[in-house]
Amino acid sequence: MLRLKDVSDADFAHSLRCGNFRLHIGTFSLRIDSDVDALRMGLRQVYPHYPVSLSGGYYDFDLAIHPASLLRQWFRRNVVFSLSGQAPFLPMVVDHAHALFEWGLNWTIGSSVHQYLILHSAVVEKHGKGVMLSAASGSGKSTLTAELAMRGWRIFSDELALIDGAAPQLRLIPFPRPISLKNQSIDLVRRRYPEAQFGPLAHDTQKGTIAHLRVPDASVDRAIEMAPPSLIIFPKWTAGAPLRVQPVGAGQAAMRLIDQSFNYPVLGSLGFSRLADLAQSAPAWELEYSSLDDAVDALDDLLADDDA
Amino acid sequence: MSSMPSQSPLLNFLADHGSVADLDAEGWGLFLAEARACGVMARVAKILDQDYPALLSSHAPPRVKSHVLAAMRQSDNLANDVQRELKFLSSALADVGTPAVLLKGAAYCAAGLPAARGRIFSDIDLLVAPSFLPQAEAALMLGGWASGKQDDYDQRYYREWSHEIPPMTHLQRGTTIDLHHSLAMPTCRIRIDSPRMIEEAVALPGSGNWYRLKDEDMVLHAASHLLLNSEFDRGLRDLWDIDLLMRHFETTTPNFSYRVLARAEAVGLGQIARCAFSLCHRIFHTPLPPDALAGHSLLLWLLTSAATTRHPQTRPRTQGVADQLLFMRELALRLPAHLLVRHLWHKAFAGFKPKEKVPI
Repeated sequence: MLRLKDVSDADFAHSLRCGNFRLHIGTFSLRIDSDVDALRMGLRQVYPHYPVSLSGGYYDFDLAIHPASLLRQWFRRNVVFSLSGQAPFLPMVVDHAHALFEWGLNWTIGSSVHQYLILHSAVVEKHGKGVMLSAASGSGKSTLTAELAMRGWRIFSDELALIDGAAPQLRLIPFPRPISLKNQSIDLVRRRYPEAQFGPLAHDTQKGTIAHLRVPDASVDRAIEMAPPSLIIFPKWTAGAPLRVQPVGAGQAAMRLIDQSFNYPVLGSLGFSRLADLAQSAPAWELEYSSLDDAVDALDDLLADDDA
Repeated sequence: MSSMPSQSPLLNFLADHGSVADLDAEGWGLFLAEARACGVMARVAKILDQDYPALLSSHAPPRVKSHVLAAMRQSDNLANDVQRELKFLSSALADVGTPAVLLKGAAYCAAGLPAARGRIFSDIDLLVAPSFLPQAEAALMLGGWASGKQDDYDQRYYREWSHEIPPMTHLQRGTTIDLHHSLAMPTCRIRIDSPRMIEEAVALPGSGNWYRLKDEDMVLHAASHLLLNSEFDRGLRDLWDIDLLMRHFETTTPNFSYRVLARAEAVGLGQIARCAFSLCHRIFHTPLPPDALAGHSLLLWLLTSAATTRHPQTRPRTQGVADQLLFMRELALRLPAHLLVRHLWHKAFAGFKPKEKVPI
């Protein structure tokens, strides 16, 4: 299997320019077209272990990052994201090319893969058990996901929980991608794990500075192994707060997940029954913490309780 | 990327659905990408699933089936939503005292026409006679629909020069209604006998006081909407509507294409109808008599470049230029010179609406 780290820069650049580059993430194959150096460098930093092809083949989605119009390219160094040639967003400065790609890919998945129920939630796995970490942005979800990644938990996603809509049993589908961290979280993870590898820093975005943490190779290698959802966690980081682990009723958990769903209305009654199954089969907990170590211990305990 | 566009799997499929049997794995990827780019994914999905199930399960790459499923979910759900929304609308408009004519997607849905199958649309288009417009607008506002924030200029543009009022969005459900009072802009150089088309609208079966344009007018409205506008992002889908309407009505009415042409001459759309027929014939191989087609013209050539696949790998190289020229044509058609100058002057300084900002 060819991995991105085994590809020469010349071959990589050529295949990106000719429409022959494919990045395989779990069950998805992405065609990426680009002549933007900053994107190529970014992909190299965060996707080295991923399987790729340089000679075309089937793709689920074709994403492109190209320079914007001539004027914008010269005066503002802008690039634009497109899916199948259609550009849904305003151009961004070229230094943010990789962040723009990650965002565009999230948007692509969130707005197209209605074969799955899509929830805005991180998903991690340990001992074959899927754990959903569902929260609005700003609650520390990604930082906790990064911590778990560095401790060897398997990462399904830091952003998108995909739940098969057709299978009789509930299954979480991995879509492991670099974990998006903001501002102080970047330094926090760097301090705790000096060996952590990041992609390019995007300064001065609407959310401040953003960087993407590479996911462990094992998550990439096992990216087609699904897992049943065993726990639903609503994490909340609060400075100085003591650890608080509190059960959430199934009904309330379902309502909170609907709030964080990308395509619940699109799925109609199927979405409802999947969510109801999910809330009934996986116990839900609210987890408030100020210390990452406490939070991880609490998750370990909850998983152990699930065995008992 | 090579300078010549590649063979388009989507165009091959539109001319002959069975041609997907010749696609290799990469071709399937491009086929889906083109369908996505042209807004016809759900319609393609419905056809593959219902008419070519064996091909889908044995020949296509396994992932294709899940994309087909995803697109079908979206369109099935939309069909439910439209039915439900029509009920809400119908009760909101109950006291207005004039029949309301459903247009385009909502009409195809309510009339159960083949053009409704897998058609994705975001707005419900309604038409009432101009004299009932204030009442209809007030009734919709009472029902919870409100027009978004437009500045005074936009309000005036819509109300004085346009054929519809600013789109109204429901405050809770987020559904959007385009309320029309005419089938084309009153300032348009091509005069359309809109009152006559409204007068001859036919009642739709089922609940609600709904009407639709009569068969010929449905085709003509679709054609005029496509050819008098300059937004070709969904041009191929709109052209496909015309193809599906023509094929359907040919089975219910003999010599339907001639009846459409006769009607077109009577309401002022002769040239538009012939151009639409030519485009349909070229892309969909719609069975149409040769003498119903338009002769070669610059306009037809431009439309051929615009109302076709929009994927960067397969679209005609002339598409960008054609889009620009058709945009200028639209403005010139719609607005008399003095209004056009004013409109462009205003827009140049007000700035065009930006797209969504990336929230990162």
